[in-house]
This record gives sequence, C-alpha cells and structure tokens, in this order.
Amino acid sequence: MIHLIDVEKYYGQTPVLKGINLSVERGEFVSVMGSSGSGKSTLLNLIGGMDLPDRGSIKVNGRELSSFSDDQLTAYRRQEVGFIFQFFNLLPNITVFENVRMPLLLNDIADSSGVRGYLQRVGMADKTDRFPHELSGGEQQRVAIARALVHAPEIILADEPTGSLDTKNSRDVMDLLAALAKEEGKTVVLVTHEDYIARFSQKVLRISDGVILA
Amino acid sequence: MSLAQLVKLFVIRNIKTERFLTSLSVLGIALGIGLFTSIRVASDRAISSFESDIRGLTPYTEYEITHTAGIDFDESVYRGVRSLAEDSFPVLRASAYFPSLGESADINGIYTIKTLGFLRSASGHRFETEAFFRDLNGIIITKRLAAAHRLKKGDSLPVQIYDSLRELKVVDIIDAPSVPSQTVIMDIGNFQESFGMAGRLSRIDVAADGETAGRIRQMLPAGLSLEKKAQVIENRKSLIASFRYNLEFISLIAILVGVFLLYNTVFITVVKKRTEIGILRGLGADRRTVVLLFIIQGIVLGTIGSVLGIGIGQAFAYVSVAAVQRTITSMYSAITISDYLITPAEALSALLLGLAISLAASAVPAYESSRIQPTESSREGSFESRYRRRRALFSCIGFIIIVAGMTLSYLDYRLMPFPFPFLAYAGILLIILGFTLVSPIYLSFFIKIMEQPVATTFGPAGSIASADMQGSIYRFSVALMSVAISCSLIVSLLIVIVSFRNSLTRWITQNISADVYIKPSSCRSNFCFFPLSRDLEQELRGFPEVAGIDRFRTLELTYEGRKIVAGFGDTEVARAFSGKRNSGSATRFRESAARQEAGISTYLATNYGLARGGTLELRTPRGPARFLIRDVFSSYSTTSGFVYMDRRWLTEYWGLDDATQLGIYAREGVDIDRFIHRLKASLSPRYSLDIMNTRELRERVLSIFNRTFAITYAIELIAVAVALIGVVNTLLALVLERRREISIIRYLGGSWGQIRRMLMLSAGMVGITGIILGSLIGGIMSVIFIQVINKISFGWQIDIDVPVGYLSAVSAALFLTTLLAGILPARVARKVDPKKFISFE
Repeated sequence: MIHLIDVEKYYGQTPVLKGINLSVERGEFVSVMGSSGSGKSTLLNLIGGMDLPDRGSIKVNGRELSSFSDDQLTAYRRQEVGFIFQFFNLLPNITVFENVRMPLLLNDIADSSGVRGYLQRVGMADKTDRFPHELSGGEQQRVAIARALVHAPEIILADEPTGSLDTKNSRDVMDLLAALAKEEGKTVVLVTHEDYIARFSQKVLRISDGVILA
Repeated sequence: MSLAQLVKLFVIRNIKTERFLTSLSVLGIALGIGLFTSIRVASDRAISSFESDIRGLTPYTEYEITHTAGIDFDESVYRGVRSLAEDSFPVLRASAYFPSLGESADINGIYTIKTLGFLRSASGHRFETEAFFRDLNGIIITKRLAAAHRLKKGDSLPVQIYDSLRELKVVDIIDAPSVPSQTVIMDIGNFQESFGMAGRLSRIDVAADGETAGRIRQMLPAGLSLEKKAQVIENRKSLIASFRYNLEFISLIAILVGVFLLYNTVFITVVKKRTEIGILRGLGADRRTVVLLFIIQGIVLGTIGSVLGIGIGQAFAYVSVAAVQRTITSMYSAITISDYLITPAEALSALLLGLAISLAASAVPAYESSRIQPTESSREGSFESRYRRRRALFSCIGFIIIVAGMTLSYLDYRLMPFPFPFLAYAGILLIILGFTLVSPIYLSFFIKIMEQPVATTFGPAGSIASADMQGSIYRFSVALMSVAISCSLIVSLLIVIVSFRNSLTRWITQNISADVYIKPSSCRSNFCFFPLSRDLEQELRGFPEVAGIDRFRTLELTYEGRKIVAGFGDTEVARAFSGKRNSGSATRFRESAARQEAGISTYLATNYGLARGGTLELRTPRGPARFLIRDVFSSYSTTSGFVYMDRRWLTEYWGLDDATQLGIYAREGVDIDRFIHRLKASLSPRYSLDIMNTRELRERVLSIFNRTFAITYAIELIAVAVALIGVVNTLLALVLERRREISIIRYLGGSWGQIRRMLMLSAGMVGITGIILGSLIGGIMSVIFIQVINKISFGWQIDIDVPVGYLSAVSAALFLTTLLAGILPARVARKVDPKKFISFE
C-alpha cells in the first residue's frame, strides 16, 4: 500500500534520509525505531504528504505523492491519513467533542454522530465538553486517537504516541493501535525509540542516520 | 538574573521578533496621541492668539478700558485717565481683511510717540516715524507677516476695513517677538482721519496699581469699564473652552482604540510567553518581577508610540490649527494663528499621556501574567478558560457600568452641576468600558446564532471559524471593541452632524426672510460689530426696488461676567414685509416692539436658569435694564449666548442708531439677482460689502458649518484608520500566536484555502459584530452628545435625525475594510511551515 523507493531528503546541504526503501502493506502495523535525529519524523512527514522527497518515489495505493499538487496532498491527508502526535496537538481552545469533530468539518461532513462513538471507544465519552487543558496526558492522547480515526482514514501515522504517557496509559494506547490494524485493517506506521513500544507492531524497522538498517 | 537582563530577553527580543505586530500597535498609539496633541496645539494657539490680542502692543499694562457693549467710545475720556495714570495707551482698532494676502488682521491705531517708544525699547529698532506720520495710510507690519508674504517697505496693500476697500502703504517693518505676527500698526490720528473715526477710541491700555485703577474706575462715564486684562483673558478662554473640551474628548476616544491595540499586543505576548513565564516562575521569579516585565513592555511601546505621535501631531497641527482658526473666527471673533510648533511642555504632556495609557493598557495583561503557574506550559488554553469562567461576572459588572454611565449623563442633563459637561464625558467613557466588558458574551451569543447559517453558507471553514472564535472569545472581543469604538465614534458624529445640519437648515428657512443681505466684507465672523456707513443706508433707500430695510445691530454685552451677543432688529420692518415668509424669532416680536421684551437663546436659558416669562437684566450705559423674556430660541450663530431685542431699546439704552448688517425687502416682482447686480455695480467703487441673496446666505451659513466640522471629519478618518490597524493587529496577533494550531489543522488536512476563508470569516464576523455594537454605542453617544453635551456646551436645539442611508453606506464601507484587514493575516498564515510548529523529535 505504501512504497518508498530510494527516497532521499535534504535539509539544506544536510542529508536526512539517504535512499530509503520501504513497503507497508494494507492492515500492517509497522514500527520505525531510531534515536533522536535519525530521520524517523521526516519519514512520517513524507508518508503523510507534509513534505516531498528530493529524490526517489513515494507511492500510496499506486499514486505517486511527488506528482501531487498542494491541494491534492491536502486532500490526501484530509481523507486518507490520521496523525497521532507525541504532544497530542489538540486545539486548546475548543472542547474535546469539537477537536474530534475537526477532521469531519475539514472533510465537509456535517453528520457528527460518529464522534461520540469514537470517544466512547477511547473511553472519553463522559468528557466531551471538557477543554484539553482539563484532561490528563493519557486522556488527551486518547482524544487525539479518536480524532485520528473519526474520518475513517486508511493510514494512521503515529509519532512517539506514548512519549508523554506513563506505562499504563502507554499500554492502553498501544493496545488500541494494534487493534486498529488487526481488527479494522488500518495501516499503522509508528515511530518510536522504545523497544517495548515497538514490540506491539507486526514489523520493526530500525533507522539510523537516514538509513534503514533492517 | 537582573531585571534589566530579563527585560532584554523577554521584552526587547520579543519586540524585535514581532516587529510588524509591534509596529502596528505603536502606529495606533502614535495616531491617537498625534491627533490629541494637534488638537491641543490648535486650541492652545487659539488661546494664545486671544491672549496676545488682549495684551496688545504694551503687554505690561494690566488693565484695559473698553465700552461694555464692545463699541468704540469718545476719546475725551483719555485725558482724565492720563491725568491719573501716565502709562496709558489709547488704541483704535478694527478687524481688516487683506484680500491680496488672504489674511485677516487687526489694524491698531496707536498713540505713536508713546507706544513706538515702548516698541523701540522692545525691539531695538529705530522707526521711520516721519513717514509714519506723513503718510496718512502708512502702516507698520511685523517681520513675520512681511516674510510670509514677501512684503517690503513701500509696498501697497489693499485692505477691506469697516465697509470700505482702502489702500495702505508699508512704511516700516517691526521685529518684536512680543508683538503678534498679524499686528498692523497705524498712527491713531491717521487712522481716525482715514476711516472717518475722528474722536473715537476702542480701548485704553492702562498700567496702574490697584488704588489708581479704583480712582480711574470712579471717573469713567457710564458704559465704560476698567477690567483687569487677566480677567478678560480668562473670560475669552472660557468662551472657547467648550469647543476645546469637545474636540479633545473626541480625540481621546480615538486614543482609546490605541489603548486596545496596546492591550492586545501585551496580552498576546503574555499568552505566547506563558511557557517561558511558567519556567521563570518555576526558577523562582516572583509575581512582581513578572508584572514588571510586561508593564515595561507596555511602557516601551507607549513611549515609542508617543514620541512618534508627537511627530505626527506636529504634522496634523498644520491642518487642525487651520480648522480651529476658521471655526473660532466664524463663531467668536477673527483670529489668526501663525504658530504651529509643538512646545517642549506640550511634547512632555503628550509623552506623559502616552505613558499613562500604556500603563493602563498593560496593567491587566501584566496582572494576568503574574497568575501564571509554573505548570502553565502543559496547560495550554487555560488562559481563555480562566476568562471563560469569569464571563458572567464580567457581563454583570459591564451592565452595571453601562447603567452608571447613562445615569451620570442623565444627572448632567438634569442637574448640570458643572459649567462643562464633565459628567456626560465620564458617562460616555463608562458606557464604552461597560460594553467592553459585555462584549465577550455578546460575541459568543452572536456566534451561536450565526453558527448554523455560517456553516451552511461557507461549509467547513465556516464551522471551524465559529468554533475557533468561540474558543478564543476574549481575544476576538478585543478586535471587536477596536471596530466598535471607531464605529461608535463615526456613527455618533455622523448623527450629530446630520442632525445639526438639518436643524440648522430648518432654522435658516424659518429665520431668513429678507431678500438681500448686506454686511461689510471685512467681517469674517457670523456677527459683525463695526457699523456700516450712514451714507450707505441713505443710498440704499434711493433704489426703487427697496421696499424696506431691516437695520440689524449687534453688540457684545456682558452678562453674569460672560460675553454674550445682543442683536437688535427692526421688528416693525419685519412685521411689515416678511408677511407669511417665516415664523422665526424676529417675527414673534411683531406685536411687541413697544414692550420691553427680549428673546434669548437656549444657551442663556440653560446656563443661567432663564425661562420664557422670566426677566433678563442687562447692564446698559443708562443703568440696569430689565426685559421680559418673550421667547427662548435656538441660535446656531454663536456658542456664547444670544439675546434678541427691538432696535428701539438700542437707542434707548445704548444711545445708538446704527447698523452692522442690513436685510433688504424688495418690492413685489423685483428680479432679486438683477437688483443685486445693480447694487454691486453702484456701491462697489466706494464700499467693500458682501451682498447676498437668500440662497447665497444659506450657502454661506452651510459652508461655515461644513468648515466648522472639517476637523471632526478628520478625526473620523483617523479613528477609522486606527480601527483598521486594530483589526489587522488583532487578527495578525491571533495568527502569530496560533501558528501551532494552524499547523495542526494543516496536518489534519485543512487546506490553505480553508484556513484563509476561516480567517476572513473571523475578520468578517468581527466586523459585523463590531459594527452592530458600535452602532448601538454610537446611537447612545449621539443622544448624549446632542441632548447633554451640546445643550450644556452650546445650547443649540438639535432635533435628532438618523441618516439611515449614510450610516448604511459607512457601515458597508467599514465592513469591507475589516474584511480587507483580514487579508494580511491570511497571507501571514500562508507562510506558516506546519513542520516547524509540530514537534516530532
């Protein structure tokens, strides 16, 4: 489903990704492990259409992302990708419900009845009117996961989703992501630097200095 | 770390980083301060002009002898005065207009030997006294006047003086700083002879101690008075005080918008820096230090804005001085202001005002900053939340303050505890403050109502914009109030101007009944005090077209220590000729010329507790005279009180039978334009007169009106400019502060188009809500301006007219400009790189 062929990315003169080749199949849960600065976030940005490679090809469902216009990349993210971040990145001044509803609004979907269902699924149904700052880290991340799922994307991109959580919350989040791949056939690409987290996925890739090691 | 280093790290660095945003705030403050300063300079210079005019050529003289009716008097009294006070200077003066220079000036006929001796010692200049005496039309002008018009000795100058056009010759040029630049000096003997004023004086300046002054006072004949110049100056100052306070107050409201800008900038910095503040607090910084940091930021911006404002004020001063000069010349007496420069004291006061408003603007956000806890960095959004919880409280306080503001204004209306409408001014400020506190709940309510229609019309961008605004309601309220205050200023002034104009037009229609009006060209004010030649009246009666002449005379009287204008008309003539043409004040006296009655302006009624049926007592040369108040009417020609009587009382109490203006009633069937043409052709070689038909007079009055309000239009324009800066500033600040949120939306698949639409919609909603609220506040303000401030300050009776068409057009223009103001923030948002603001690693 996702194919990266000889992808290179530079920031100025500095190479960040050096000839990355990677394939992720539909419904697969892949972890990319690497230390800070290894290029794993850049890899996520490229898959998510937030950035374009300087060389090489990225194909998603057979479509070449490099050939997409900005509008097409935006539509791709809006419809096919769900992002989960380490620091949750919820919009601070709107409620939990409105945060989760946001991708639906962006997709011009008026029906927001599914929002409560996703919030129930992540155990946040009783806090829909709260604001993000009124929630704990674990709760915020659960809201972020509901937001990533609400518009039914095929691809979930998660960047250190447990980086700000305690062990119990980390386990809950990872169980949820694993279930998404296994039960709903979502394609999940997760970057992390923790072995323990990577173990929840079906395939683990290691990246170092912009090169995938195994 | 010392406070200075913290200031460098937090304040200076932030100002550098957010240069554009900071510049907008500074510009807003600068425009407000500039406007305020320029108006102050203009009114201060007007007062100085009055002052130097009264002090005359011999500023060390403490007293002046004048006629209580403001007319010239017999010079025989001078001999007696001089026997008691050697240092006394007789003056005969007249307002003149120099058509070739386009300037008005007072021509002062002086006792040459004495006065020039004094001027010689003041200027160190030896005067051409021989030429001065020899040339009957010889004048001395000031070096500044000569330089301004490249005049030199020997030049001839045409001059309109009294009702004639003469030629004067420059015989010398004086360079004495104490002499006002528009002073023209002539030998008193030559003056009297040239202009047929033999044996007349306008004033005697006297240097004397209190005892001598008392003795002089006792020997003065009836009708003359000796007054301290300081007291005369104070009286003159109080004449234009209302005019001055009103202009200053309006410009103060423009400054208020600047305060919002500054408040917004400091507030945004506090919000943006909350993480750093939290860390600082965690490292042990106390609340005081944090408060100081943001107060200093406000003061730094306020100081820069004020300094810039002083420069802008200097530029504005050229315009405002000209506008104030025109208004005062029309309404009070001819003045010429040639000094435009801001003095160090005025600059300092502008700077202090800037500092005060900076303190006021930064106090609230600075206090908020001190409440930030060390854990704040992980509690993004808690700021708005804190305000959200206080929304009901703020609204309650707001409503109470609005009611308090209205109550104060009403108290001023009913009780008038001060001579100036200070309570009403305070009331308006309170109303604005109250609405500011209510604005968040109002905006929130509006968004709730508009949520569905906006979502239906604009799709996802509409829904996101509504949610976004609802979430940042306090920050958007600041933008809303910037628009609302400016809009209120525009709406209120527009209602005042249109209402006044319509009332004035009705008044003119009712009161203008003659066919032709004649007044001396030299008279630039609404009222003329120099009489027309007797010969002129005789000549006019020789024209077969003339059916009757209403000989109108104005005097400047003193009532309760204040100068008022008295007008004496020929009510018999009005009764005979005006017929059904009008129902104005003059015609209400038709049956009563024989009775000792007067009509008074509403200003006199309001400020001195006079009413129809009551008695008006005036000081006359024949002692006190009591008049039954027959009518109370609105007089738009003066702001200092007006009394109207039949000419019979002019003769009886003041011993005069001359006229300063004439109204001619033509016979039936006369072609008025042709008649005027004939009058001009016949009279112009010997007289310098303004001869107008009814239409021309009406146009002239309305043109004076437009000129009077020219400065108000300028204030409106500046208020709009500051409001637009306010909207750009707030929306831009929101974009800059929320780059991370914009980045999140981009990650979630929001397009730049959606983000741009969202920001434009926000700008549009701010515009609409601001205009609606501003119209409401403006409506309230206009009622207070017309019913309270106008009533106390000027006593004009103005019927409120709401110019729906104008207001709609202005609102539409303001709405479009707020939309335009949304373009810049949308462009800035486009430059946001989402990857920079979403931390991955």
